[in-house]
Amino acid sequence: MEDKLEQLRDEAVAAFQNAKDEEQLEQARVEYLGRHGRLREAMTNIANLPEERRPIMGSLANRASREMEQVYQQRQQELAQQAAAQEPGEQIDVTLPGRASRVGRRHPLLATLDEMIEIFLGLGFTVAEGPEVENYYYSFEALNYPEFHPAMDEQMTFYVGDDALLRSQTSPVQIRVMEQQQPPVRIVAPGRCFRRDTVDATHCHTFYQLEGLLVDEGVTFADLKGTLEVLAREMFGPACHMRFRPDFFPFTEPSAEVCLTCMICGGEGCRVCSQTGWLEIMGAGMVDPNVLAGIGYDTEKYTGFAFGGGIERLAMLRYGIDDIRLFYSGDMRFLAQF
Amino acid sequence: MRIPYNWLQDYLQADIEIERLCHLLTMGGLEVEEVRDWTATDGEATDQILMTAVTPNRGDLLSMIGVARHAAALSRTDFVDPVTSFPEIDNPVTDREKASIGPVTVEIADSVGCLRYSALLIEDVEVGPSPDWLRYRMEAAGIRSINNVVDCTNYVVWEMGQPLHAFDFRLLKDGYIIVRRAEDEEKLLLLDDTWQTLGPEDVVIADPMGAVALAGIMGGTDTQVSETTSRVLLESAHFDPVAIRRTSLRLGVSTEASYRFERHVDPNLTLPALARAAELIMMTAGGQIAHAAIDVKTRDFATKSLQLRPARCNSLLGTDLDAAAMADFLRRLGFGVEEGELLTVEVPTFRPDVEREIDLVEEVAIVYGYENIELTVPGHLTCTGRLTEQQRLRRRAGELLRECGLCENLSFSMMDPSDLDECHWPQDDACRDFLELANPASSDLTVMRTTLLPGLLTAAAHNARQRVSDIALYEIGTVFFPQDEQSLPGERQHVAVLMTGSLLTADWNLPVEQAQVDFYYMKGIIEQLCGGLGGPELSFVRQNHSTFHPGKCAQVLLGDETIGLMGEIAAEVAEAYDLPDGACASELNLDMLLERAVLYTTHQPVARFPAAERDLAIIVPDNDEFASARLIEEIEQAAGEFLESVTPFDVYSDPQQIGAGRKSIAFRLVFRADDRTLIDAEVEAVMSAVHSYVEEEVGAEVRK
Repeated sequence: MEDKLEQLRDEAVAAFQNAKDEEQLEQARVEYLGRHGRLREAMTNIANLPEERRPIMGSLANRASREMEQVYQQRQQELAQQAAAQEPGEQIDVTLPGRASRVGRRHPLLATLDEMIEIFLGLGFTVAEGPEVENYYYSFEALNYPEFHPAMDEQMTFYVGDDALLRSQTSPVQIRVMEQQQPPVRIVAPGRCFRRDTVDATHCHTFYQLEGLLVDEGVTFADLKGTLEVLAREMFGPACHMRFRPDFFPFTEPSAEVCLTCMICGGEGCRVCSQTGWLEIMGAGMVDPNVLAGIGYDTEKYTGFAFGGGIERLAMLRYGIDDIRLFYSGDMRFLAQF
Repeated sequence: MRIPYNWLQDYLQADIEIERLCHLLTMGGLEVEEVRDWTATDGEATDQILMTAVTPNRGDLLSMIGVARHAAALSRTDFVDPVTSFPEIDNPVTDREKASIGPVTVEIADSVGCLRYSALLIEDVEVGPSPDWLRYRMEAAGIRSINNVVDCTNYVVWEMGQPLHAFDFRLLKDGYIIVRRAEDEEKLLLLDDTWQTLGPEDVVIADPMGAVALAGIMGGTDTQVSETTSRVLLESAHFDPVAIRRTSLRLGVSTEASYRFERHVDPNLTLPALARAAELIMMTAGGQIAHAAIDVKTRDFATKSLQLRPARCNSLLGTDLDAAAMADFLRRLGFGVEEGELLTVEVPTFRPDVEREIDLVEEVAIVYGYENIELTVPGHLTCTGRLTEQQRLRRRAGELLRECGLCENLSFSMMDPSDLDECHWPQDDACRDFLELANPASSDLTVMRTTLLPGLLTAAAHNARQRVSDIALYEIGTVFFPQDEQSLPGERQHVAVLMTGSLLTADWNLPVEQAQVDFYYMKGIIEQLCGGLGGPELSFVRQNHSTFHPGKCAQVLLGDETIGLMGEIAAEVAEAYDLPDGACASELNLDMLLERAVLYTTHQPVARFPAAERDLAIIVPDNDEFASARLIEEIEQAAGEFLESVTPFDVYSDPQQIGAGRKSIAFRLVFRADDRTLIDAEVEAVMSAVHSYVEEEVGAEVRK
């Protein structure tokens, strides 16, 4: 009799646990725990036992009944949860376009300028600024430009008065900074400049420049080369180098034209670099002693280097832009890309 | 300058392949921009032409000899100078002002414009076509072949860099050459068949009848060499670079001669050039030298002596060269060097650009090779590389605007005064006081901008015409205004914003007022910008400005000062720029804003006890006297210390329900104490005080 009860219990537990869904479970419940179920049948049989066996068997049957009930309920809960999880509820079209606030973008020219400034900040330079309208003294005279010299041709200056002009380079800032302090001077001067250039895909009358100036004891041409090499590598990776060749600027001596490995062809030569493998990006050199002496610096004690170049070309290389006019187009489809 | 490669070989001892030559020259400061194949028009000769770009300080490189000397120095090979010598030229008749020999007289009356004038008479020449070799060289150099005599003078210009001129001596009145300033309105027919009207600024070569040539620029037709010429007077002179440049710029006439004189020609080249020309003319046109040369020179042109400290040179370049190497480099360039503890350097007169020790340092660096100088990083870092507080604030302002979803725009700093008319800018506004360009590049960019708005409107118009309807742009830039008292005009940084269309990346199913830019969205951006910069207190006051909608425009105030304006673009302006109605714009003086801004805000403790909220709906007349900002101030005054905030949440007007000319406005009041939870009774007491205050003092009707 005890064995039978145990067997019944095991069978019921197995049936409950194997029930795949609520319907099967209900069938199993009716079979084992129902009013005409097998447990009730077994209980009825107990009534037919001898009287001394009845209490023991009764309590055994009650225990089996509780155990079966417990397993049944546990399974019922499990199945209810599974069913709820499978209930479809609300469904949305996950492919409709997202609807978030827009994110604004930095202008690609200024983003490039920011990047360069970042590199020079890391080299201990600070950022100096000055007026966009300058006078003749700061623009040319203090920079050692001789009057009536062909060097002035390249400047193509806009004038706004007898002695006021739109700066054609940010170099006047160098003079203004040096007038205010003794060496060491370590600055970069970013900003908007103007030249009377005709607008086409690679020229514009408005452009941005970054110039640098370092004046201290023992500054060398080799330092200038090393500093700009850092800029090249930081901007365009270790395969990118600077090339220096002699050039002429009134405010530096020796002067150099600075080229960058053409990133389009990796220096092999292509249309962009006119087959040379190099792109001209800057002018540089050791600050002419006339400039330093004009400030009142001791030219035997202090030497310095200066460099400067336009940002447009670097930004065009950085982002693969082929027409300089896009920078001033105001086109949202362009500006939202960067 | 065109440098024919085969011709250059005449002056080089060693064979240098063309690729290497181009590299050497380019890396040695004479850029070879390209190499062109050249074939003579008759197909009988070919060469390769190096197209060089000469920096303005190196007039000496505007000659075959100069290029050859430089190439030889850079390649450490030898250079061949084509020296010619004639006793008549080696021993000229010389004087400071005026000299004569035979039928020829030369006088320098203008010793400022002309420093030296050498001349040589060659007689019995037979003018005719040039021989092939000369014609080919002219053609390779890009010079039109005229005749054997003229071609020989041009040959010498190319070879040596000394401009020469040949006169038909028969046509010079009295054989008398005088170099003087032109008279007022003096006329001269130049070889290019143009009449020039000259004046006292211009230096001319004249005979007693009048000007016969424009000094250093071009000869005149009246005295030119022709088929019938038999006596040729050769001019080899040295003119002042500034005088030549002035005349050349003023008349707009630039020639091979003026180009060279502007960049400085060796003043001691006049006689050697005469000798070379005489040799070539006699070779190609026959004839002989008639007399000794004349050499009128206003002064002597001595070489300079400079000293170079080798240690200084190394410390500037970061090199470790010995003095002997430096001396060798300089000698190769044609400098005389005496070695000692210092190098004593004699600078040849063809290098007027070398004036100081530092210039010698550059020469050493060029011959040594910039490529060979090491890379080092400057030492003893003494400053911290960091943006100043003002710079960081300005950068922050841009970030805040981008965080508001605006893209950065750049427009030109120049504009046209009529741009303000196009955007219906008020006539009497200070923005119409422009800084004018003396020499604008184009007729639509004639003045400096006084406001950023026309630039943004133009950008928006461009987008609208491209059917881009969602526009969100900002610009930070300089505006300019004249300042009479100051030497330089005033400059200010402004920030401007323009928006129209959808706020979100997509707006399907959203009601328009939630999805589209309007006045309040623009205002919210200004508030975000100011809040992000440390929250200078802003206020907004109704403004009339013809660029903006008459009822949707506000002046923006920071304390008592106006810092800008904002609003919805007026319908007629929107139409002019093809913009949809409802576009909004704003412009602020960023300098003023940043003056009050702070980078670091002070922390305010967050409240620890719960708040109590109450709503207050009132009906008031719909006019500026009952503007919400004033109602809020009144409520704040009435509500006392526990009021934390009061914000409007529902505004409407409905003539049927609340009567015409009235509006209903509902506020949410939040009360909080910082040391306990407020009890209902306290809040109710305050609310009833507020009710009576707004009814009695403000004249509002409280909706119950």
